[in-house]
Amino acid sequence: MTQDGKYTEIGNSLPRVDGKAKVTGAAKYAGDYYFPRELWAQVVRSPYPHAKIKKIDTSAAEKLKGVRNVITGDYYKKRGGLYLADKNFLAYQTVKYRGEAVVAVCAETREIAEEACRLVKIDYEELPAVFSPMEAMKKGAPLIHPDLHTYRVAPIFHPVPHTNISHHHVLRKGDVKKGFRESYRIFEHSYHIPHVQHVPIETHVTTALYDTAGSLTVWSCCQSPYAVRAALADSFDIPLNKLRVISEFVGAGFGSKAGTTIEGIVIPLAQLNPGRHIRLDYSREDEFENAYVRQGMYARIKTGVDKKGKILAVENEFLWDGGAYTEYGVNIVKAAGFAGAGPYNIDNIATDSYCLYTNHPVGGPYRGFGMCEIHFAIEQNIDMIAKEMGISPVEMRKINGLRPGDTTNTGEVMKVSGYQDCLDTVIKALDYNRKSAQPKDKHKIRAKGIAAGWKSPSQPTDAASAAIIRMNEDGTFYLQTSAEEIGQGSNTVLTQIAAEVLNVNPDRITLTSGDTTANPYEWQTVASRTTYCAGNAVKLAAEDLKEHVLDLAQIKLGCAKRDIHLERDDDHHMTWVVATNHPENRVPISTFALGLTLPDGSGIGGPAIGTGRFVLPNNFAYNMEDSQSPKPVAFWTIGVTGAEVEVDTQTGHIKVLQMISCFDPGKTVNRALYDAQVEGGMIQAMGTAIFEELMLKDGRVLNKNFVDYKIPTADDIPERLESLIVEYPEETGPFGARGIGEPVMVPGAPAIANAVANALGHHFDHMPITPDDVLEVVRGKKSKSKAKR
Amino acid sequence: MKEITYIAPESISEALKLLTKHKGKAVIFNGGTDVMIRLRENLIQPDYVIDIKRIPGLKEITFKKDGLHVGCCATMNEIAEHADVRKYYPYYAKACASVGSKQVRNRATCIGNIVNASPLADSATPLYAMDAVLLIEGPEGKREVPVREFITFVRKTVLAEDEIVLGVRVPYIKGAKGVYTKNSRRKEVDLSNVCATVVRTGDEYRIAFGSVAPTPKRLEKTEKLLNGKKITPALIEKAKQTAVTEVAPIDDVRASKVYRLDIVQAIVENSLLALGR
Amino acid sequence: MHTIEFSINGEALTLLVEDNQTALRVIREQAGFTGTKPGCEAGECGACTILVNGKPVNACLMLAPELDGKEITTVEGLADGENLSVLQQKFIDHAALQCGYCTPGFLMSATALLNENPHPTRQEIVEAISGNLCRCTGYKRIIEAIEDAANSGTKKIPAKKTKAKGGARK
Repeated sequence: MTQDGKYTEIGNSLPRVDGKAKVTGAAKYAGDYYFPRELWAQVVRSPYPHAKIKKIDTSAAEKLKGVRNVITGDYYKKRGGLYLADKNFLAYQTVKYRGEAVVAVCAETREIAEEACRLVKIDYEELPAVFSPMEAMKKGAPLIHPDLHTYRVAPIFHPVPHTNISHHHVLRKGDVKKGFRESYRIFEHSYHIPHVQHVPIETHVTTALYDTAGSLTVWSCCQSPYAVRAALADSFDIPLNKLRVISEFVGAGFGSKAGTTIEGIVIPLAQLNPGRHIRLDYSREDEFENAYVRQGMYARIKTGVDKKGKILAVENEFLWDGGAYTEYGVNIVKAAGFAGAGPYNIDNIATDSYCLYTNHPVGGPYRGFGMCEIHFAIEQNIDMIAKEMGISPVEMRKINGLRPGDTTNTGEVMKVSGYQDCLDTVIKALDYNRKSAQPKDKHKIRAKGIAAGWKSPSQPTDAASAAIIRMNEDGTFYLQTSAEEIGQGSNTVLTQIAAEVLNVNPDRITLTSGDTTANPYEWQTVASRTTYCAGNAVKLAAEDLKEHVLDLAQIKLGCAKRDIHLERDDDHHMTWVVATNHPENRVPISTFALGLTLPDGSGIGGPAIGTGRFVLPNNFAYNMEDSQSPKPVAFWTIGVTGAEVEVDTQTGHIKVLQMISCFDPGKTVNRALYDAQVEGGMIQAMGTAIFEELMLKDGRVLNKNFVDYKIPTADDIPERLESLIVEYPEETGPFGARGIGEPVMVPGAPAIANAVANALGHHFDHMPITPDDVLEVVRGKKSKSKAKR
Repeated sequence: MKEITYIAPESISEALKLLTKHKGKAVIFNGGTDVMIRLRENLIQPDYVIDIKRIPGLKEITFKKDGLHVGCCATMNEIAEHADVRKYYPYYAKACASVGSKQVRNRATCIGNIVNASPLADSATPLYAMDAVLLIEGPEGKREVPVREFITFVRKTVLAEDEIVLGVRVPYIKGAKGVYTKNSRRKEVDLSNVCATVVRTGDEYRIAFGSVAPTPKRLEKTEKLLNGKKITPALIEKAKQTAVTEVAPIDDVRASKVYRLDIVQAIVENSLLALGR
Repeated sequence: MHTIEFSINGEALTLLVEDNQTALRVIREQAGFTGTKPGCEAGECGACTILVNGKPVNACLMLAPELDGKEITTVEGLADGENLSVLQQKFIDHAALQCGYCTPGFLMSATALLNENPHPTRQEIVEAISGNLCRCTGYKRIIEAIEDAANSGTKKIPAKKTKAKGGARK
């Protein structure tokens, strides 16, 4: 910050600090490390969705030349999991989804490992399977985890013993019965959101080395090295000081690389082969089926409104298809339970969010953490009610959208809320109130739609972060954190924050992360929490270092530290420590790098190191019975997306012509990276709205490849893709910032769905909205409901 | 991928000898964009992979008044960008340009596309519409087979294991105009869920559809209905109704049967309107 | 096994390769150019795009022995020492990359485009990169970076010349 109070870095569009490494091929991702004589792992997977493993014959595989080990679930029986210990790295006794890892092989080459997998013989006895959350809920449904009642579980989750329900989240606010009694009209709508996949372009890869001195190193493409370290240490009883997780650059995560997925398979193999590196690469097919998928969901929303359109009561139910293991999924179900009525000021809410085991691929965190799914329902519901009430969707949102002073679903009073400003901004930019100009082609109809969204970080109320900053002898710095650079730009943003505090040029700071041995603790890089949590830790570390420098500068400059400031001098690639009232009295900041040498030759202070420790300062546990709390989450990020579409009634194709979003990031640290996140989020949302679905039939994924799972290409993006901003600072955020990475995806899909509905006069109760769906409506039939239970 | 022996012969006769010697155990490797996938997924398990791309002369594209000759190693991009193809067979150029990505089209060949005999081969319908002829060489010598007789079923052709398709001849018909249409979920880099070429010469029509039957298909009844007649809205309607009786699309992950039938009608209508102008 | 001789980023290289390995694996694992990324190994994502005699192809769909006699350029061959190519610089300037994993593939497709067609239309740019998938950026900035590079009068980036030998083997 300059002497007249202006930011030097915050709000700039500093080019990515990792840009050069990434455009030259120098950036190393987990799969880019190859080691001499490394061994390759491969996995035998279940052909059945639910079956008892009767017998495994590995003898032929073991005899194959070049095979080192063949292990089964019997080799390692301990169950693990982030929130609910329900998962084995290799199936034990039963398989619970088609594709589940049953046997792991390691061999001298990947071809031998593959061949060995083909030689493993497994006898299965098929068990009745469950393919929808509704079936899973039924009394007498086959139990996928009969011993659920014995599993270790974090205390905020409520598995229902002897059922397939691994978590039932309950939110009660006000009195819904009274709300409905007082309502002028009551609406009930249902929706279905299918499974989708994250599709990071880098598939999961991991290499593990158990060295002959007894330490384990794992090269992993993970979002959260510390969480991986904790999970692996727990699973394999390895002390934390003997376990190192390295993850420098990650080829995108979107949640799929949170938690542990692949590492647990190679570690036992590493332990069996001390001194040899063991590597496992997921193929794209594995990535679709065996990395996390986004859970499918069925939503039902009952809404009571008064004559003017004010929502008086909401009763909603979400049934989540959690798949075979829900160790992480339970928390998504909780997040949906917290936010289920949307960013609206509603006095009476009853939400039930259920996590159900099914024999489907394993559900896990995906950008939005449940919010994309519930908002597809919430925001179409708002439009549908508005239409039935004869008021505009904008008006409906103006009446109900959160304003400062309103209370959230969980009973927290919103100190700030950018909802109304974001809405106004998008309405104006999209010119929403003016109908789309129609093209000459009689087969094409254009229309616009809007949707809002909100999200809070779903993290423990005491989630912690740390940062260390060290000054080098020449006045450059090392900034150490364990926030993971997964593409979102955290390395750049955190560098800017430190540079701002210290008044140094960001190119004087080198950030290191992605190595648990070298860098301090970070809970996880998830939940759109990094700018806020790691950012606070970095800010505190830089302030700590600054304090240290100023303490010594008092002696050197002979004045009180309140009268000393740091001044950036880019012309000379340095920063001065300046006596404010006598600016000619100044020394380079490097003077204090190793402490201060006094006139008598003695030194004080020692090397300049700043530490920052941040833990959420004001988050409180919620009441289990109703989810109410004065402040259960760090912050809410709110925004609005508008879309214009062109529907071709002859081919059913939907072309998205415009997408415009406005969010409230509190304070933008880096505008270019903010815009880039918003644009990417909108296109990812567009993919789910019109293309993407993991097609499941009897537990089989029918489209586990890019031939039949289509994500958007450069050709599909709207001509106008725009990111706007309103800024209401977050009280506890660094420089007022709050997280935006996930929220920016949330309103995209319902905005498109609402636009399509405005074009066709029909709301689809599911996504993606395919050409097939469109033509069905054009033919005059009512579209098939996919939300039916 | 299993172990293989890669051989790159430098003449046709050498290639034919290799195919005869390793009959049943060898696969011809051209652009490789399909063979590589099939090798990787163990759908084929040959011992020998015979790369024909180093044989001189097989990349040639030449146009004379009797028609176009496309060598078997000419890539999709080379065909799509060739001046004569763009001038005389723009719909064929468009079909080749609609295959896969730019990277794939720098490797994939039209002949490979035909030999694969996929029902939805993008470059097949222009050849069907033009009654193109494949030039084949085997140990017994050369033979010519019309493309419509070459593909017999899904991934089945009349090509013997020791034969090579050297190229294709596309007849030239003066004044012929054509329209190629591809309908897919995503515009770029996707498979057709219906593709078609409609060619008009004077008042004669040739209509070829892909992805609506086990092989690409000419809609002969529809052609007959249209031949010699003036295009009117009523005739277009009749043509659409006839067309759907000639195709038998299926439901799959890419589209439903009903959807494909709608698209067949849309393509018939749009193509006739475009050619009528 | 085949001994192949080819040039990669201007350097002549002789390698002994397995017949059933892809060019992608050999370039990464034997030649050490890990900027070329695997993404699907099925020719659908473009992360492994390399230039073969100046043309972009998917290295995953090419057999290793086919490299013999070819001139290969990977992302490591785009910069001139420390000096980035115009395209590389524009990708940074426009924030046209996020996780960076797909970036080498985009740079190769775009480099080939601008070499062939120094002033492409927006549609030509889109067609040239539609075989490259990116999940982070939403593509807008990538298109703009390429447009900007074209407008900056980027010179043709020659494949660094070292005459590749090979090709005589049968």
